[in-house]
Amino acid sequence: MSLTIYGQPLKSRLLIGSALYPSPQIMKQAILASQSQVVTLSLKRQNPADKSGAKIWQYLQEVVEQCQGHLLPNTAGCKTAKEAVTLAKMSREIFKTDWIKLEVIGDDYNLQPDPIELLSATEQLINAGFKVLPYCTDDLVLCQRLYDLGCQVIMPWASPIGTGKGLMNPYNLETIRLRLPEATLILDAGIGKPSDACIAMEMGYDGVLLNSAVALADNPVMMAKAFSAALQAGEQGYVAGIMQQRQTAHPSTPTLDTPFWHQPGVS
Amino acid sequence: MNIYINGKNQKLDAKQTTLAMALSMFLNDNQTNSSFAVAINGEFIGKEYYDKTVLSTDDSIDVLFPIVGG
Repeated sequence: MSLTIYGQPLKSRLLIGSALYPSPQIMKQAILASQSQVVTLSLKRQNPADKSGAKIWQYLQEVVEQCQGHLLPNTAGCKTAKEAVTLAKMSREIFKTDWIKLEVIGDDYNLQPDPIELLSATEQLINAGFKVLPYCTDDLVLCQRLYDLGCQVIMPWASPIGTGKGLMNPYNLETIRLRLPEATLILDAGIGKPSDACIAMEMGYDGVLLNSAVALADNPVMMAKAFSAALQAGEQGYVAGIMQQRQTAHPSTPTLDTPFWHQPGVS
Repeated sequence: MNIYINGKNQKLDAKQTTLAMALSMFLNDNQTNSSFAVAINGEFIGKEYYDKTVLSTDDSIDVLFPIVGG
């Protein structure tokens, strides 16, 4: 069962970030261990004396080649639609992809996306030929508007970036899934542990995007494997059909033909 | 002429300088050979326009390189 992003089939439902790892070598090992085929990255100014940037870029190219994957540039740090559109165009030129993980931040404290600027940037980028993957809050109407603008993929947050708090508002996330059955929904940001990813998949989400949960683990490579397994477990659980919860207990063991000493009145 | 590259003030002697000339002056060899993209005053400038883009005084040039990201 594969994930499709803008017509591109992918073997894994995990999208993974490339930041915060203890070393470039561990980053490479962890990404490969995750089996993800989509790796996020970004752009920034570079000090002329700093040669590490070129090395990281080389590593990322090697990783993507080995996993037969795809780069997903982001617009991290942008606070206006104009900034995000400019950064997206710069990314498209360098990375040769029209995919863009669109981030437009409205608040520095919790890095919450600005819905107004996000919609404006989305519209401009779609008109410029981009395939937009917007990072947004778990607001149903905002997700609906993004879908109406032409986003085939929508990425509501689980909780603020880097918090590891997991799914803050499961009801909101379930409602988005229920109301946008045709959209490809990727849960992005705030995932802390493999069970968070599993819960998202059990809800019927199409995938999960994470970074800190793997990169900041004591053993990022092992954690990457754990997330890969958790996504598969959650997806299979969703497809298999989860039983309805019941208000009262029901015996699992058949009660017919129970031994006579279980009968009422027999001692 | 005064310009800014990645926020740093730089002086240009020539009266008329293209973006391509400024980049060759202020980027080191490593950077020139790397993948990068450019914006002037917040507007993206494609590589095909580096030779044709004439700088004005106080132009702010951003030269961005790939980096890890989430």
